[in-house]
Amino acid sequence: MDDHDHNDHEHDHGDHDHGDGGHHPRPASDAELRTRALEALLVEKGLISTDAVDAVVEMYEHDVGPQNGAKVVARAWVDPEFRRRLLADGTAAIAELGFGGAEGSKMAVVENTPSVHNVIVCTLCSCYPWPVLGLPPTWYKSAAYRSRVVAEPRAVLAEFGLEIGPEVELRVWDSSAEVRYLVLPERPPGTENLTEEELTALVPRDAMIGTARALEPEAVR
Amino acid sequence: MDGVHDMGGMQGFGDVVRPDSDGAIRSWELRVFALNMLSGIQGLEGGPGFRARIESMPAERYLEASYYERWLWRVEQDLLAGGTIAPGEVEDMMERLRAGEAAPTSSDPELVTRTVDELRKPYPLAAATSPRFAAGDRVRVRRMRPATHNRCPRYVRGASGVVHAVQGEDRLPGAPGGGPREAVYSVAFPSAGLWGPSGGGTWTVLIDLWESYMEPEEGGDG
Repeated sequence: MDDHDHNDHEHDHGDHDHGDGGHHPRPASDAELRTRALEALLVEKGLISTDAVDAVVEMYEHDVGPQNGAKVVARAWVDPEFRRRLLADGTAAIAELGFGGAEGSKMAVVENTPSVHNVIVCTLCSCYPWPVLGLPPTWYKSAAYRSRVVAEPRAVLAEFGLEIGPEVELRVWDSSAEVRYLVLPERPPGTENLTEEELTALVPRDAMIGTARALEPEAVR
Repeated sequence: MDGVHDMGGMQGFGDVVRPDSDGAIRSWELRVFALNMLSGIQGLEGGPGFRARIESMPAERYLEASYYERWLWRVEQDLLAGGTIAPGEVEDMMERLRAGEAAPTSSDPELVTRTVDELRKPYPLAAATSPRFAAGDRVRVRRMRPATHNRCPRYVRGASGVVHAVQGEDRLPGAPGGGPREAVYSVAFPSAGLWGPSGGGTWTVLIDLWESYMEPEEGGDG
């Protein structure tokens, strides 16, 4: 979003799906108008400012997102000492890269290996490590994901195209307190000669939730 | 409270998780997010707290609402509870906007700086001072039917697990103004102990639980 005209924030981004992942796009929904009204009311009362709302929007649209987590993962892949610190104290190691804040009181990093696969959920709401992944994707917040991934994780992961064999130890982390989890995916083969920055392109968001693997270099060429 | 938000293990929400349903967040949703953050930062709210409020949403409405519709409802309820807005004011403003009136705008650089600083500020989870359990201890989750906000999902109650790690110390959720401080643990549960035998192999669920949600397992330490 590059146009931040304050009176124009009701405009939509085009043709993408409704935010709840439903199949019923609702034109200028009641929620949308209600949101505008609530903001207008608080601005009119002088309790918040339009530019403060814009600043939060900007921050979570551009600065706080899975690109941060990808940097953490790439660093861990190239720097064994960082990887050790990251697994020992996620919050502190992540702060070395300048990331932290809301929903990051304690960030724990869990490592995927050939014999262990980790996946993250919050069955009670949608807790998620904002500083490194931004705001959660729609499917992560869905009732289907929240209800099923603790009870039939292999079936759910298969729907993401991820087959986890019976020999692999599968760990499902339910974020029910203030700890926020980040999956450190396996470094793909054939990436020995890539730079840290090039490696970040191989780390999709879902690989850091545990519903995907990191990409092989051919996939992004 | 034991509401529909406690979804772990429930069935009937559809057989297929659709990764392709991940439409980008819409601009009104981001503004709802921002209003929730600002309302907290500015201290405009009353009520039982963020999650407790969302969980108090009538069950059928919770299930029908999208994620940010819940957040919108939440912030409005807590602004009402805090006396920041009066009943009917939002509807009146909706009428004005619907009639074509331009929404008021304002600028407050000090608030912008304070807001961004606040969202970047670390609030580290405190270390546990006197945890009752240690990694490796066998524990059993208590049976309960809490009347207020609670973070012990139904699906682990009564189940036996092993403490994986002491995570820190935090206020027990549910008491107004924050309950007593307690140790919080990551506890590992084998899938068969939660769900019985499964055609989908075995796995481990690791979940973070407050100390008073658990008791020592018979024959265990603690």
